[in-house]
Amino acid sequence: MSEPITIIGTNTVVSGNLEGDEDLTVEGRVEGSITLSRTLSIEVGGVVRANVHVRNAVISGVLVGNVEAQESVHITEAGRVVGDIAAPRVILVDGASFRGNIDMGNFDIDRDVKSAPARKPMPRPQAAIAEAAPEAPALRSVPSRPLVAPRPVTAPAARPAAATAPKAAPGKKAPPPPKGRVVGKAKATKKAR
Amino acid sequence: MANTVIGSSIVIDGEISGEEDLVIQGTVKGRIMLKENIFVEQSGTVEADIETSNIEISGQVTGNIVASDKVEITAGGRAIGDIKAPRILIADGAIFKGNVDMDV
Repeated sequence: MSEPITIIGTNTVVSGNLEGDEDLTVEGRVEGSITLSRTLSIEVGGVVRANVHVRNAVISGVLVGNVEAQESVHITEAGRVVGDIAAPRVILVDGASFRGNIDMGNFDIDRDVKSAPARKPMPRPQAAIAEAAPEAPALRSVPSRPLVAPRPVTAPAARPAAATAPKAAPGKKAPPPPKGRVVGKAKATKKAR
Repeated sequence: MANTVIGSSIVIDGEISGEEDLVIQGTVKGRIMLKENIFVEQSGTVEADIETSNIEISGQVTGNIVASDKVEITAGGRAIGDIKAPRILIADGAIFKGNVDMDV
């Protein structure tokens, strides 16, 4: 086999840091952190409680933790994720469960606004309004209440993990600690970014 | 078909509420409260907090969305804000920034 692939089988538990340059398929359980330059696939039945840094992630199992992907994160209809996702492409299909924050990074509406010069405060007169609406105007300003409240990740409910994983440490609700000092047990940690 | 359409050269600054489908091709700012479906089409721009049952976003939406059924961001759609809905779909190519709460 030229393409190296690592598989964590159904009855395997990995606790600690997992690093590598090849695809990883998790059918069992991983706790700690995962750092890959390739694709992480969490299969149905697979449980990951870890902060994840990968190129691509395809999640059909359970993931509790923050995900940072260079390319894409795909949560399938069987996938359940609690945590924050940062990736240029995030795909969430019907049936997928997710709670957390999504940041696609490249979408900076404020910058769009600043680079769109002609967008002055909306003129009142009716006649002027019709002309002042370009086809796809850059958005301006902020509505009445804050949009993306910089609230911390609310301690995610342990339900997804607890429901599927026999040993989903009840009571430990937050995503696992940031990579680097993983001891196999998820400690309460807020955002890892 | 009972339908409201906000055409592409229309700007509404205020509040929209109702019980029929709403198609937005223009600009809406303020607040939208609907019991039916909202379609934000490619040319549509919404800067509003939205309460509805279904919304499909192919244009731009800035604001918080609470939907009793479903929120869908299509491949051309852009959304910034927090979303709360039991079903949330984000297509490949969609752009989104914010918090997602499916009540899981």
